[in-house]
Amino acid sequence: MGKLVFDANLCTGCRACELACSFKKEEVFSPTKSRVRVVKIDEEGVDVPVGCEHCDDAPCIAVCPVDALYEDLETGAVLINHDTCIGCRLCIPACPFAAISHDPVAKRVYKCDMCHGEPECVKWCFTGAIKHVESLEEYTREKRKAIAEKVSEGTGVGQ
Amino acid sequence: MTFNLGGYAGKELHIDLTRGKITKVELSEADCKRFIGGRGMDAKTLFDSVSPGTNPLGPGNVVCLSTGPIAGLLGPTTGRVNVASKSPLTGIYGNANAGTNFGPEIKYAGYDRIVVRGRAKKPVYISIEDDDVQIRDAKHLWGEGVFETNYRLQEEHNGYDTKVAAIGPAAEKGVLYGSVIFDFWDAAGRSGVGSVIASKNLKAIAATGTGELKVADIDRYREVIEDGWKGILEDPGFKTGEHSSLGTLVCVGWGNAQGWLATKNFTEGDFDGADGISGEEFRDKYSTKDTPLPGGRACMSCPNRCKRFGRVEKGKYAGTKGNIEFEGVGAFGSKCGVSDMEAVFHAYMLANDYGMDCISCGNTIAFFMELFEKGILSKKDTGGLDLKFGNGDAMVEMVHRIGNKQGKLGELGALGTKRAARKIGKGAQKYETTIKGMETIVCDPRASKGFGFGYAVGSRGSDHLRAHPVFEMLRIPEDVGKEIFGSSESVTLRTYGGKVNMVVWHENIGAISDSMGTCRFMHASYYAGYPIPEMLAKSKGGKDTHSIKYHEWISAATGMELDYYGMLEAGARIVNLERAINVRFGIRRKDDTLPRRFIEEPLTSGAAKGQTFPEDRLNKMIDHYYRIRGWDAKTGLQKKRKLIDSGLEDVAEDLGKRKLLAKK
Repeated sequence: MGKLVFDANLCTGCRACELACSFKKEEVFSPTKSRVRVVKIDEEGVDVPVGCEHCDDAPCIAVCPVDALYEDLETGAVLINHDTCIGCRLCIPACPFAAISHDPVAKRVYKCDMCHGEPECVKWCFTGAIKHVESLEEYTREKRKAIAEKVSEGTGVGQ
Repeated sequence: MTFNLGGYAGKELHIDLTRGKITKVELSEADCKRFIGGRGMDAKTLFDSVSPGTNPLGPGNVVCLSTGPIAGLLGPTTGRVNVASKSPLTGIYGNANAGTNFGPEIKYAGYDRIVVRGRAKKPVYISIEDDDVQIRDAKHLWGEGVFETNYRLQEEHNGYDTKVAAIGPAAEKGVLYGSVIFDFWDAAGRSGVGSVIASKNLKAIAATGTGELKVADIDRYREVIEDGWKGILEDPGFKTGEHSSLGTLVCVGWGNAQGWLATKNFTEGDFDGADGISGEEFRDKYSTKDTPLPGGRACMSCPNRCKRFGRVEKGKYAGTKGNIEFEGVGAFGSKCGVSDMEAVFHAYMLANDYGMDCISCGNTIAFFMELFEKGILSKKDTGGLDLKFGNGDAMVEMVHRIGNKQGKLGELGALGTKRAARKIGKGAQKYETTIKGMETIVCDPRASKGFGFGYAVGSRGSDHLRAHPVFEMLRIPEDVGKEIFGSSESVTLRTYGGKVNMVVWHENIGAISDSMGTCRFMHASYYAGYPIPEMLAKSKGGKDTHSIKYHEWISAATGMELDYYGMLEAGARIVNLERAINVRFGIRRKDDTLPRRFIEEPLTSGAAKGQTFPEDRLNKMIDHYYRIRGWDAKTGLQKKRKLIDSGLEDVAEDLGKRKLLAKK
């Protein structure tokens, strides 16, 4: 099991994740072909990484009329079976994160498969804006620790 | 013949605004091999298309916006875009460069370069959506600021996916140092390239690209960029996190301590208000990201993220926001003696919104301030402004006046420091510090001899981003300096030994950096550039090292085999081509010099107190530099043999016909 965690606060907007993804999956450099995207709101100095959250109750799986989308029980990843997929694209609007795309040339939909447990985007994200965590409990524990230390610093408790 | 190199998109967009004609032309493989891309290819286009008599603001001038073979690929920084034209500010070769997402975007749309000629009858902008390229009416945008233009074009096209290059009202009104601003905040500022674009009645380019870029050798490419990426992450300078968390403003404290932070129009060598405009001040009070790391925003595929984004929440400059960089802060800050960060930040963003080069604008205001203090300009001349050093509000008001060309000083300021000095007279020229008509940056050449020498010979006039010899500022071991530049003095600021070699090397490698589409900060100027990590490792007893090897990077991406020395030769070729352009525009040895202030007036304060840049020293260095470049010591003209040897036979032939070659 594992989970991708996106944190816009840590994102610098460099888009290395997009390029690393399209290079690994398609051997080209193309943000359009990337499974993860960074929305750059330059006007406000904000960068937001957006990608598949591999939902527990995934709307894409629910909407798929031929059961081409499924949850991989070993990794928790939401995957597409391209042999079954009929290209109806119902899953694209169903996804709240716009994480499924359609390639009009190859005539197929594509999405993040978490690189089967070793996500390439995470490898290139040096600030940790995209993390792959094995245990969400561990992730939240670390986050609680960081916020507690910050509060402690602010109140002067223990100093 | 089909274009067959990797990395490149493979096409150029030629736009003739006079005829309203758009042509898509295949990139020339021969040009790629000789000049790589970006800055190199732009020089080739200018050499071929702009004759010496061309009016920079007339339809005969050409403006190029170009990327290089690695732009838009994964790798240690791939977001630079180069803009080139004959400069209206200096009358010679003009060039500016920015770190953006626009450059990669035009490549995803299918074009490595955009070459614009002629002049539209009425205001237009160019929209690029992959194959669909149109010249469109820009009546609704003309007169608008850069930010509003960028915002509207994103609204009218594909939202955040649309990347925009825009010029502002200052350039429309004929300020001679108009900039081009990409993606709201990223300026290609120098040389007035934005003014050239405005003179063509071209307001903006809005681009969206959905295509893809391929490299020649996938496995090798991955190996090369992984090594380069590791090189950065392991670099001791990068590891301090200073540059990432403070942005380029890290240089404020650094420059002040080292004695080169130009202060009060170069009258002083340290600034007592430096803390007020420091990187720490900006990070702690205005930065919108509260984590010290990562803190900044990044250009395409860059681990360094040196763009600090901030916002002023209250006070009279509330609402000011944007990416801030060192040169603009130096120009409006220490050069003007202003220590109020909010005034400096505001002036900086105004200059961007008007579309003016922060360096030329701030420098010109600082020059006016000195004239005001010396009594050469009166209150009548300033329209009542108390234009003393340190008056931030007056400085902000001057930015408005110049941007609008309003009043006497607004009109004069729009001409840049050199022309304004000439018009003012009364001995004003004594206080101006331009070289070849270009305002000097915020690093004082008396305190940093390598930088100073670089200004004297730089192809776009007084500027740091031709050579950028930062090795004299970093703590590089002496043995490394000796091995690469022939003198252990080369790694010390106030000494001259090895500095000519250092400037030549940095100019050559910098030309490659600008031509391939990557950033100087990520190569031997700062981090991890081959062969520095290797030499540092050797100096410290040897360990496995990783580095950014430009020659390998270009080779793996494009399939053109280039070794380290071949790459340096290509860099030298680009520098020589730019010299040839400048020779045709009348540049000779007499122009390769420093302003009298730096030669005659010792610095009065700071770590470099008492320093000048002595003329005899400068002359000897120029002799040495010319010998290496193959230029004639007396005239500064190029030698035929040397041009041919460096692969510029066509240039030698052209200069020969014009009788512009050195005699022997």
